[in-house]
Amino acid sequence: MEQEKAIKAPSRKKVLMKRRILNLVPIIGLLVLIAVYLGVGYWEDIRFDKGFQAILNSSVVCAVVATGAIFIYTLGSFDISLGAATLVSAMIGAMAYNATGSIVVMMLVCVLVAIGIELISSLLAAFLDLPVFITTVAMMSILNAFALVLIQINGTGDSISIPSEAVDPFDNMAFKLIVLILYLAFAAFMFNYTKIGRFQKFLGGNPLCAKLTGISMKKMAIVAFVLCGVGIGLGAILTVTYAPTVSRNTASGVGMNVILAIVFGGMPVSGGAKSKISAAVIGAISISVLDQIMSILQLGSGIGQMVKAVIFLAVVVLTSLGYRQKMLAR
Amino acid sequence: MNNYLKRILGTIAIPLIAFAVCQILCIAGGVTYFANAFSWKVFVRASASVMLTTFALHINLNSGRFDFSLGAISLLSSVISAQISIAAGLPVWMMLLISILAGFVLGVLSGIVYVVLRLPAIIVSLGVTLFYEGLAYVVTGGYGVSFVTNTEYTSVGTIPFYCAVIVVGLIFMIVVFDLSRFGYNHRALMYGQKISVNTGIREIPNAIITYGIAGMFMGVVGFISATNNGTIQMSLNFGSIGVMFTAFFPMFVGGFIGRFSNDKLGYLLGAVTSAFVSLMYSRLNVDSSIQQIVTALILVGFVIFLSNEYKITTFFTGHRAERKTA
Repeated sequence: MEQEKAIKAPSRKKVLMKRRILNLVPIIGLLVLIAVYLGVGYWEDIRFDKGFQAILNSSVVCAVVATGAIFIYTLGSFDISLGAATLVSAMIGAMAYNATGSIVVMMLVCVLVAIGIELISSLLAAFLDLPVFITTVAMMSILNAFALVLIQINGTGDSISIPSEAVDPFDNMAFKLIVLILYLAFAAFMFNYTKIGRFQKFLGGNPLCAKLTGISMKKMAIVAFVLCGVGIGLGAILTVTYAPTVSRNTASGVGMNVILAIVFGGMPVSGGAKSKISAAVIGAISISVLDQIMSILQLGSGIGQMVKAVIFLAVVVLTSLGYRQKMLAR
Repeated sequence: MNNYLKRILGTIAIPLIAFAVCQILCIAGGVTYFANAFSWKVFVRASASVMLTTFALHINLNSGRFDFSLGAISLLSSVISAQISIAAGLPVWMMLLISILAGFVLGVLSGIVYVVLRLPAIIVSLGVTLFYEGLAYVVTGGYGVSFVTNTEYTSVGTIPFYCAVIVVGLIFMIVVFDLSRFGYNHRALMYGQKISVNTGIREIPNAIITYGIAGMFMGVVGFISATNNGTIQMSLNFGSIGVMFTAFFPMFVGGFIGRFSNDKLGYLLGAVTSAFVSLMYSRLNVDSSIQQIVTALILVGFVIFLSNEYKITTFFTGHRAERKTA
């Protein structure tokens, strides 16, 4: 018996150690990417201040939206309409500014519209028993079309603009970092220190068991979508402040980049207990750093995207070593 | 007899209703629904293309494998076949064969990546989509492919050709998935992965071949699109995934019709329903944004019906029962 314990003890330690190391893989991956970026940048003699600014600019919207999306993904759900929701929120926000001349109103409208959009998605899914993915596919289509209608209503060619002077005070590193850090802190608190986060992880890991213990999937889905809506709204604000001309292509890549970022950051797409808020930021920054490396090396759009795909899959394989199944994953 | 009638009605009801509604709307709009040969061609082409995309989406999705890479496979296979055919001066039927073969190989490669990496299919498909889109971009130098002036290639899209594609595609699906050992195994794996594997069904070859077949269908879709337009435009950053979304509505409609007859026939009728609506948009010159909204609402409405069918049935049967007892 004692012998058995002696044999088991180190193996458990090993397992724990392995798990800890695997949890660190996304961070190690990010650090490696940053090291490569610094090396390549030094070699090519780039201006690092501009480079880091570019990384922040390209990652901050994705990071904020992805942070909110973690709440949805934790439930094992999936939202493909995030980019379209960001676009419509930004457009209506810009229209609100043009109507009132108030930047505060614009920001409030961005957040409220985004929450409203996500609320509609969640209510449809919760009360009409619709599959979340289908709801969000339909919502994506409707929102993209609605964006075109908004442009037509506004009657300003193919975009909706606000004066750049209005958003200049907010188009800086400090504002972007403050928004990201505050929302990240809020999301981390909700996710790690409240019932909401615990219930969501429970529901994502074992929906039946969670339901039997009295946790309402419908309520939690609505809460998740609303919290995600806040992230989308903030993403819309950052989008308008960075580029005050909002066209139909604005934020078009956000939806898929969020999925990439979350998975890149080490979160299982099936959600559950292994979900973590940090995945969003780590993933979003990793992808931006990777894009910058491709840009410095002048690999071209096609080869750059192929390299990105290979690195993405390699990182995901490493991060998923702890929870891979013997049978083919579904 | 009653049962047969019910099954026939259940099978044709949705396309018939769609046709009737579209016809009424066209009459109200003062246009002829099927005005000329071009209208028929648009209708049959949309039916063929959407049917094949629905098949490709369905055969993996029914096994829990969500595949974002369908559009990228369609894009890359058409690029490969067009480049080779133009460079070697091959006839158009060779272009079709190369497109099918390229689609099959790309699908198989996608399946091998899925099997080797043991990651959820949705994640693998994200990587594969990025890779194939990038490869298509590299192969064409980012300029795409254009053969607008090649009348042999651009004139292949005739009504008989699209009808042949529909018939061959449907027969192929029924033979492979309903009447072969591969199909039986596929269905067993679909309904009980663990028990099927434990009873000796080899899941890995089944999954890889399924990916290959999906790729083959998308190869044909790519060929139809390329020969119809005479150009192949490049997509990056997941720009190709839009193709997949055209298949959702027919897939749900097909699933519903499948209860009354055969699900493969259902997907064809779902695609036909979708084509009726597309033609109506075209005839009435409906704005593209309105088209998108209406199509999405139809999808949502139908899925709401499917998800709440039991409640609706209970409501009506209960109501009738109460009235009877009263």
